[in-house]
Amino acid sequence: MTRITLSRALNEGLRRALEADEKVMIMGEDVGRLGGVFRVTDGLQKDFGEHRVVDTPLAESGIIGTAIGLALRGYRPVCEIQFDGFVYPATDQIVSQLAKMRSRSRGRVALPVVIRIPFGGGIGAVEHHSESPEIFFAHTAGLRVVACADPADAFAMIQLAIAGDDPVIFFEPKRRYWDKAEVDLTAPPSDALPLDKARVVQPGDDVTLLSYGPLVRTCLEAAIAAREDGKSIEVIDLRSLSPLDMETITASVARTGRCVVTHEAPVYGGLGGEIAARVTEQCFYHLEAPVLRVGGFAVPYPPARTEDHYLPDLDRILDAVDRTFTY
Amino acid sequence: MAIPPYGHHEKEWHLTAETIQLLTPEGERVDHPEYPLDGADVRGMYRDMVLVRRIDSEAIALQRQGELGLWASLLGQEAAQIGSARALSPKDMAFPSYREHGVAWCRGLDPLRLLEMFRGVTHGAWDPEEHKFHLYTIVIGDQTLHATGYAMGIQRDGGEDEAVIAYFGDGATSQGDVSEAFAWASVFNAPLVFFCQNNQFAISAPPERQSRVPIYQRAAGFGFPGIRVDGNDVLACYAVTRQALRAVREGEGPVLIEAYTYRMGAHTTTDDATRYRLASELEAWRLRDPIERVRSYLARTGEADGAFFEQVAAEADELAVKLRADCLALPDPPPLALFDHVYAGHNAVLDAERAQYAAYLAGFEEKGAGR
Amino acid sequence: MRKEFRLPDVGEGLTEADIVSWHVKPGDTVTINQIIVDIETAKAVVELPSPYAGTVSALLVDAGQTVDVGTPIIAVEVPGADDGPTEQEPARQEPETAEDAPQDTPPARQPVLVGYGVKPGSTSRRPRKKPPTRPGSYPATPSMPGAGGGQGAGPASPPRPPFPSGIQLPPGVPAPPRAPSAGQTRSRALAKPPVRRLARDLGVDLGGLAGTGPEGLVTREDVERAADAVTAAPGHGPQAGAAAQAAPGPAAEERIPVRGVRKHTAAAMVASAFTAPHVTEFLQVDVTETMAATRRARELPEFAGIKVSPLLFVAKALLIAAGRHPMINSSWDEAAREIVVKRPVNLGIAVAAERGLIVPNVKGADALPLAGLARAIDELAATARAGKATPADLAGGTITITNVGVFGVDTGTPILMPGEAAILAFGMVRDMPWVVAGELAVRKVTTLSLSFDHRIVDGELGSAVLRDVGSMLEDPVRMLAWS
Repeated sequence: MTRITLSRALNEGLRRALEADEKVMIMGEDVGRLGGVFRVTDGLQKDFGEHRVVDTPLAESGIIGTAIGLALRGYRPVCEIQFDGFVYPATDQIVSQLAKMRSRSRGRVALPVVIRIPFGGGIGAVEHHSESPEIFFAHTAGLRVVACADPADAFAMIQLAIAGDDPVIFFEPKRRYWDKAEVDLTAPPSDALPLDKARVVQPGDDVTLLSYGPLVRTCLEAAIAAREDGKSIEVIDLRSLSPLDMETITASVARTGRCVVTHEAPVYGGLGGEIAARVTEQCFYHLEAPVLRVGGFAVPYPPARTEDHYLPDLDRILDAVDRTFTY
Repeated sequence: MAIPPYGHHEKEWHLTAETIQLLTPEGERVDHPEYPLDGADVRGMYRDMVLVRRIDSEAIALQRQGELGLWASLLGQEAAQIGSARALSPKDMAFPSYREHGVAWCRGLDPLRLLEMFRGVTHGAWDPEEHKFHLYTIVIGDQTLHATGYAMGIQRDGGEDEAVIAYFGDGATSQGDVSEAFAWASVFNAPLVFFCQNNQFAISAPPERQSRVPIYQRAAGFGFPGIRVDGNDVLACYAVTRQALRAVREGEGPVLIEAYTYRMGAHTTTDDATRYRLASELEAWRLRDPIERVRSYLARTGEADGAFFEQVAAEADELAVKLRADCLALPDPPPLALFDHVYAGHNAVLDAERAQYAAYLAGFEEKGAGR
Repeated sequence: MRKEFRLPDVGEGLTEADIVSWHVKPGDTVTINQIIVDIETAKAVVELPSPYAGTVSALLVDAGQTVDVGTPIIAVEVPGADDGPTEQEPARQEPETAEDAPQDTPPARQPVLVGYGVKPGSTSRRPRKKPPTRPGSYPATPSMPGAGGGQGAGPASPPRPPFPSGIQLPPGVPAPPRAPSAGQTRSRALAKPPVRRLARDLGVDLGGLAGTGPEGLVTREDVERAADAVTAAPGHGPQAGAAAQAAPGPAAEERIPVRGVRKHTAAAMVASAFTAPHVTEFLQVDVTETMAATRRARELPEFAGIKVSPLLFVAKALLIAAGRHPMINSSWDEAAREIVVKRPVNLGIAVAAERGLIVPNVKGADALPLAGLARAIDELAATARAGKATPADLAGGTITITNVGVFGVDTGTPILMPGEAAILAFGMVRDMPWVVAGELAVRKVTTLSLSFDHRIVDGELGSAVLRDVGSMLEDPVRMLAWS
């Protein structure tokens, strides 16, 4: 076991993937010589060459469009979009082409493209560097959308995403890039939890708390604080945003009777709404209270000095937990 | 073919300043020193153009009869498509937009696949590798990036004599993705021919609305050659495309060909071109018909006789009859097929939806989809 | 076989077209794709090619006629082996209806720019074999506990340390609980939300019930039956029984949304009640002299036209007491950790207005002469009752009086107005037996209750204020002596 950061765990996972299949390629802005603005691709171009780890022109639509062409040719491109707020120019290629080509061709064309996107706020950044655009892609049929939350899982998930034949939008919580944990770098990805499953990261009895990406850690911290109030919170890392692992979610809510979902993305139209609707439908008779959601407000992401008011924190999450007990 | 290192190019590019023509509208041969016409199967190209035109007109009729929802006619653009497609080698990969029925024909794709798409039975589903002809791309310009990526793949796996051709129209040259494709193909020196059919219309918009300079000159800004060819001259299209592919295969990087042609029909069967086009303009271009000039040439030179022309016409009629019958016989996809082929792997949410819809359908007294 | 060609949607946004001119007539031979008619749409003239080869048997519409899309326009006799029913083209409405006999004219589709066009709606449902069941497709609702519930991580997940990512456990915090082992489950009942609410209102524990509904659901009847059984046991008052015996149905309770004044009153009460430690002291007072003084005051010209009631004298007594014990007119400032003794007394009067209880205050009441105080109280109460109290009227109060006697009760435990240190309530003035100079007499008696904020006012001070008010009401002349 080695104690490494999330960023390094992803780096190691990418390295494994490049070693395992010569068709795997990495492409993006500044991923090669610089090693990526977050160093996630550090050292890879040196070891695998500049034609497998490609520094691209500054053109997001171009990155995804050419990745599609490479995939048609039999490659397995792993694209990096440098920051969440810059994915939008690529949206047409992702939604109109990447998501649809398997269905359009009735299964004749596979596009095993992975798009890595650092997402979320809490890093004191300027505009467009703290977005949470995951719902746009979760809403698009044909894409798989996942989010890693901690180093050990990230190491496995990136390898699983690359090995699968579906296009995957792979969200990485940028404010957790420097979190460290023990990772077994020899563990084969086949031993890991499948990509479409959620994980109970902290068992509990009184309320089910669902999250993904950067807030999983916040939820764990909230679970610790809640024990002083005498409440036992079950924290679940969704991992897969599309498809949702409803089996794990409903098994938990059936036991606890209460559910709170939290994400940085705005509550309005966010994934929490989809989860709430499904949990309500599938666990109606088990519910002691409606499913509550804690997330960003229906405003553009604010300037850094006020982002703490926008981002769900331990207190807001526990406030929602408290509110589920007022019904 | 050498892939340049991560850095700046230093090569200079020679630009042409004229429209290449090897066969006049009257059917007379013209020679061009840079574009020799060797090994051109003119009779074969004539046959291709006639058959493709016949497929096209049959499809329009089928649409008018309610058998297709839509058809995008290539009338007038046969030479640009047949000429360029005939220049491809079997290993080359072609990326069309949605009007390249002539290229599809040359690549050996059954035209019924195209009718399936416009009828609404599929979204245009065939295996791109089977005929080296990618699926039709309706979003304007997207395919140029796919073609560029594919060409970058060829560079990596040593397909020494493989090249890619990307088809798009004059309107597409305004799209960002096309500029990005030009940028990428040039900086990576990708083995790719960009073939622009300037048919003078983006629905109703003229090329002057897309670009201040002639389209073939746009390549200069990106550092690669641009050539304009008479798009109604099948021989010139053939020769210029062959030449471009030769350069591309030798690692000289991308080439832009602007085939200057004319869309004789409407944008699609839902378009009313009389609202924006003068009948007199149409008449002027009728005199430049691509098939007529080849027929004149073949007849005058004796390379073909009346029997040949009749045989081709008969073949066209037969083809139309068969296509019509096949089209009318196309079954609609079964309702649950819409859940297939969305993902490679298992998706529990989608499986649940499928089961739910199947149960819902089974709950009705008589069969049939909703009204 | 006779085939009919219906006017197709030629995709130009038309719902109808005019027949301009026929190119064929009955008896003519036609080939496939031969142009048979010109139609004019809203935009252009379009030639229609024949889908059939054969002999024209009839032109079904005339030149000059306006025809809806979907209308048969021409019949062609097509040579063929079968002589079946008239086949109409196009017949592409439903995928499996190739075998259906002549159907009704399929609804014409509203043409759009691309494609076949929009289908018109319908106002009747297709007949169903049976009604839908729940669950339609989703995996069955996780069933009663014990049937697979209670496990935490999924079957394939490898063991993981509980708190990864460098989270530091605060010192002294115990380790997280172990995952509940399979089989060890909570006892949780299945019930719809309204039934859960009913159970809570009736004090019934759902977990102990066996549900009689589908899938073990606890029903409303189950809950009510349990509540009935409970009320049969001793210790439960008539209220619970009555509620349990109430007819089941939506009329068992009325829900009034808490809005506006009531909402703010409620919020204020909660804020006050849970912030300031309340102590209430009571004093029964012989107010016979005050009642006489009230009657006498009414006769005085200074009070003409003003409503004079015992409230005025109680108010005056409190104001004088506040003058003698200024600390009673103060406020607890939590943020600054200070007691703020206020100088003018802004006397709040609780008024029962239509929208709820509101408390406007008389600014600087301690400086007003009695008549002025009377007038101010009168006007303020009238304004408030009319619903026209301004925010200024309602803000800035420093001490409050509330007359609960008008509700017909003797006393109460009033809740402080937020930010104040004391509130005085007084109840009905009754004829009561009293001891006067050693002898029993019938006197006018009322009960005063003073609640105060124990952070500011201790028992000695509170009692002193209450005693003073009582003394002044017993003998109004004291008001003159102490002011």
